[in-house]
Amino acid sequence: MDFLAEGFRRAWALLVTGDSEVFGIALLTLKVAVVATAISCTVGLPLGYFLATRAFWGRRGALTVVNTALAFPTVVVGLLLYGLLSRRGPLGGLGWLYTWQGIVVGDVLLALPIAAALSAAAVQGVDPRIRRTAETLGAGRWRVAWTVAREARFALAAVITAAFGQVVAEIGAAMIIGGNIRGSTRTLTTAVALYTSQGDFGLALALGLVLVILALLVNIALQVLQGRGSG
Amino acid sequence: MVELRGVRHRYEGRLVLDLEQFALPRAGMVAVVGHNGAGKSTLLRLLALLEAPTEGQVLFNGTVVPRRAPASLRRRVTLVEQRPILFRGTVRDNLEYGLRIRDIGGTAGNGILGDVVGRLGLAPLLDRRRHELSDGEVQRVAVARALALRTDVLLLDEPASSADRAAAGALYRALAAERAERPFAVCIASHQLEDAYRWADDIRTLADGRLSPVTPENLFRVELPPGDGVKSVPVGGIEIVVMTDRTGPAVLALPPTDIFVSREPLASSARNVFRGRVTGMAIEQRGAGVHVRADMNGVELVAAVTAEAARDLALTPGAGVVFSFKATAVQVF
Repeated sequence: MDFLAEGFRRAWALLVTGDSEVFGIALLTLKVAVVATAISCTVGLPLGYFLATRAFWGRRGALTVVNTALAFPTVVVGLLLYGLLSRRGPLGGLGWLYTWQGIVVGDVLLALPIAAALSAAAVQGVDPRIRRTAETLGAGRWRVAWTVAREARFALAAVITAAFGQVVAEIGAAMIIGGNIRGSTRTLTTAVALYTSQGDFGLALALGLVLVILALLVNIALQVLQGRGSG
Repeated sequence: MVELRGVRHRYEGRLVLDLEQFALPRAGMVAVVGHNGAGKSTLLRLLALLEAPTEGQVLFNGTVVPRRAPASLRRRVTLVEQRPILFRGTVRDNLEYGLRIRDIGGTAGNGILGDVVGRLGLAPLLDRRRHELSDGEVQRVAVARALALRTDVLLLDEPASSADRAAAGALYRALAAERAERPFAVCIASHQLEDAYRWADDIRTLADGRLSPVTPENLFRVELPPGDGVKSVPVGGIEIVVMTDRTGPAVLALPPTDIFVSREPLASSARNVFRGRVTGMAIEQRGAGVHVRADMNGVELVAAVTAEAARDLALTPGAGVVFSFKATAVQVF
């Protein structure tokens, strides 16, 4: 018990004193998560809408692929991307291995199926009369999509939260592609793993708490947004 | 205004609409009547330029509409679906939706909104949200939302299905008032023959996706004699007893289900008893009903009976038959 209590005490001290390493890691994690979530949702939400509303050859197959990708192991994504981004790989010229941009690419690959599959489900949950009515009132393609999105706003907010949650909490791709380099690509999850293995339980715990607080803040922000737009 | 030519429309291979020609006049009100599944809603969707027919052409002002109608053309037509839905937001937000799309705002927008709100009595509802409205109110707001767009063509699918009689009357009066102000084409799909006959300039019957050459059953244009209460009205070679205070030109409608069918006259309270011959029998598409067509001294009447009753009475073409119905069964429009 002493060990645990000591861990919490040290974590608290690190957070209260504004430890530069803790905050540096938290900021990098936040940057990676926000950029990856933004990219995956910018692509994934329209893709989900398209899959949910357009009838085209292979639609069912596309939905199956997206749904299967939901359960893709993060380390496998990291491994494949490592092969692509490593110096001998086809994308080695980009020089993104062991950079935060590389982690973003891995995270986008993981969050994109979530954004696409869950937003397709969200759009399919909207009463089809909404789309038809918007069309009858003269709405063009984009206006119709916007009207449907407004109706599905709760579900779509949940999609964004889920994508952010996936990105901020994943460790496999961040570890393999980022390399857990101090001051450069060390994220909260990779740092927690490292400091735990090094026996610095207090620091690991402090970083873990930051991770939980981050997730909590994002969820609260989304709930506030939803509340404002209710009715 | 909008015209369908040689249209055959299929859903998953099944033919749901087969119309050689169907046109809406520029400033008339056309009612399309028919049973559920007759193709009324599909017809309206084609006229609304929301779908292209599997075969055939849609013309707007004489010009062929491309398979994917441009938004500019679609905005000249609007459709209110049978079970309309409102968007999230207030009734006011809903009324403004189509106007915003057309960039109509400010004074012009407020003027239009004021007109439709007044016409359909929506002022007390303006700040309400959809979950605070009854089905009838939603329907009224949906009609107002469409009316506000001042389109060249207004299509209404069963616009009064959720309204009580008074609300339905108010809705049709609002439409009539709007039409008196500016000419536009209206097409209403309805199974309420009563509304169709009262408000429409032209009635077309749709049966199994085709226009039926037969007008809806038991409808007679008559001249009602003066006086109150029970009247005897000549219709062809017979006289139909009706109960009405109206006088002058009118339409009598007799629901086929209100006719009592027998082989011999029966002692009953029915004021109308006609003896004639069965000229034809048709089994209803669904259910076990039979439509019995009979010639009553030169006037054709249609009665609906169950298949069992038709069998028990041994009804066959040429057989003698008696139709009885009460004076109150005859509706006057």
